[in-house]
Amino acid sequence: MGSTTSDSTDGHRNRTLWPRMWRTLTTTGESPHTTTNRNGQLEAVPDGRIPLWRAHNGLRVMTLIYAFAWFLVMLPDYREPVLGSAIMASMVAWTAFTIWRYSKPSGRTKRLVLLDQFVTTGLFGLCYFVLTEHQLEQGLPTVVTMWHASMVTAAAVRCGMPGGFVSGAAAAAANFAMRGYIDSNMWMDTALHLVIGLLLGLASETAKHSTRRLARALRAEAATAERERLARDIHDSVLQVLARVRRRGGELGGEAAELATMAGEQETALRTLVSTGPAERGGTSTDLAARLRAFEGTGVNVSVPATEVTLPAETITALCSVTGEALQNVAEHAGPEAHAWILLEDLGSEIVLSVRDNGPGIPEGRLEEAAAAGRMGVAQSIRGRVESLGGTVTLDTSLGEGTEWEIHLTRTDSRDRTVHSGGRERGNY
Amino acid sequence: MTGSEISVMVVDDHPIWRDGVARDLTERGFRISATTGDAVSALRISRTVHPDVVLMDLNLGDTSGVEATRQITQEIPGTRVLVLSASGEHADVLEAVKAGASGYLVKSASVDELVDAVRRTSVGDAVFTAGLAGLVLGEYRRMAVTPDDSDPDPPRLTERETDVLRQVAKGLTARQIANKLVISHRTVENHVQSTLRKLQLHNRVELARYAIEHGLDQEGEAPPD
Repeated sequence: MGSTTSDSTDGHRNRTLWPRMWRTLTTTGESPHTTTNRNGQLEAVPDGRIPLWRAHNGLRVMTLIYAFAWFLVMLPDYREPVLGSAIMASMVAWTAFTIWRYSKPSGRTKRLVLLDQFVTTGLFGLCYFVLTEHQLEQGLPTVVTMWHASMVTAAAVRCGMPGGFVSGAAAAAANFAMRGYIDSNMWMDTALHLVIGLLLGLASETAKHSTRRLARALRAEAATAERERLARDIHDSVLQVLARVRRRGGELGGEAAELATMAGEQETALRTLVSTGPAERGGTSTDLAARLRAFEGTGVNVSVPATEVTLPAETITALCSVTGEALQNVAEHAGPEAHAWILLEDLGSEIVLSVRDNGPGIPEGRLEEAAAAGRMGVAQSIRGRVESLGGTVTLDTSLGEGTEWEIHLTRTDSRDRTVHSGGRERGNY
Repeated sequence: MTGSEISVMVVDDHPIWRDGVARDLTERGFRISATTGDAVSALRISRTVHPDVVLMDLNLGDTSGVEATRQITQEIPGTRVLVLSASGEHADVLEAVKAGASGYLVKSASVDELVDAVRRTSVGDAVFTAGLAGLVLGEYRRMAVTPDDSDPDPPRLTERETDVLRQVAKGLTARQIANKLVISHRTVENHVQSTLRKLQLHNRVELARYAIEHGLDQEGEAPPD
């Protein structure tokens, strides 16, 4: 394709037919709303590469028209007009066939794209026998001319950047072989073939990834919506009754009070279940606030910000087990009447987690005694875990004053510093 | 402990709960002036009966308990809103408190706690549970940490207010906090009230600014500069 001029007269003749032809040829034979995913579920995500296939089909038609115009102009001067006409007829047939196949997802196979490369290159090669030596040297267009590039676009859309690059290089190599000389026009053609292949390949890869990401996001959204619906239903029915049983039973006393306690525990468990978000977020950071809320129950009060407190998953697991250990200690040593409070604060650059109880407190020296006796005291265990996270822990206790653990942890990952808005959007304005 | 003279409206979309709470309060001597299950009629009824305290559930089907709280506290002077809600609705509770609610009690609270909270709400005190203190503290922290161009001057806590709020969030009573910080019981209460008032005032200013900006945008007028 050594030419950069176009035949405007010929292009004009085709213009009236153009819109309808364009629509017919570039419509893809699928509804984007009813594709199914691997699990066989209906999915509302159209393949992001569909527009690229349309663009390819459109380009093939446009370049065919362009080639046909040159064909009409040059036909009288061809060395082999019959072979030239045969090539042109084959190009029309191949264009129609590939557009028909490429317009359906099932037709966009690697095999057809590979065959496309051979057919196009073959037709281009045959042009060597059609043009006179003089025409070749002058840089006049071959019968195939710009239509040649449509094999590169097909390969790029189907196989991404590698496909686009290989096909572009093949087209450029064929061009050099045919012309047998090198000038600035040839270099420009080479560059164009490679750039088209790489750029469209990049677009195709991006579209493919976006489609996948969108599908994943939509699935997560559907799961969340279902969870919220379920949470609303449970809130409106079971939880109301449980809360009422808990309240009334507690007042009646005796056996009813026992039932009330059980109802209360189930109520708390169910509330926690429906209020914590899906565990899997697709990332390594999760919300510590939501995890701590799960500790809320009889005798334990949890105070956290309304916004998410995101931290790496392993940090959260460690902090939760430390909290669990501290609460366990309260349950074992602080007596049945003791109450515990958990407070989580997000200061941006660091988080502060406190666990306080109103039990009798730990007498001075007892922790040291335990350590001296070789027993791994709870204090040592908690301190060890927090320090391995890079945090500090202070224990504030004295006889009759309860116990308070305060854990300070500096955030190392700046990405986690952003305070996520969690569910705040809902009732904002 | 009786609640004579104090009139209460119960807003909750679940009849079992609504009637149960109404009965509990009647038994303790409160006057139930109305019960309703949706936010729209809650606003309409409270305009005519002027209850002292509105017990507001936030989960009212399709209508927003937060918005009802905002309108009731702004339109009807003397009527205070106490949010009585499930423990999982943290974000909504914070919004309701910013919108003007005087406090928040979880539904699992005992009748004694409820009666006490309603009485305190009726005289204008804030009902600050540990959970609410954690939410308010978290909101101040969020405003301090997250830079927001649309909000150049977010309210801040003084050091003392921060101390007090933290102790409330850790479950200490006002008296315990007073002892610990060596200040008077009344000072502790004042600090707590002030943290809430600042947040509510800021919320109102923000809303007004939002409305003005929005209104100007809608009319398509050129910016004044």
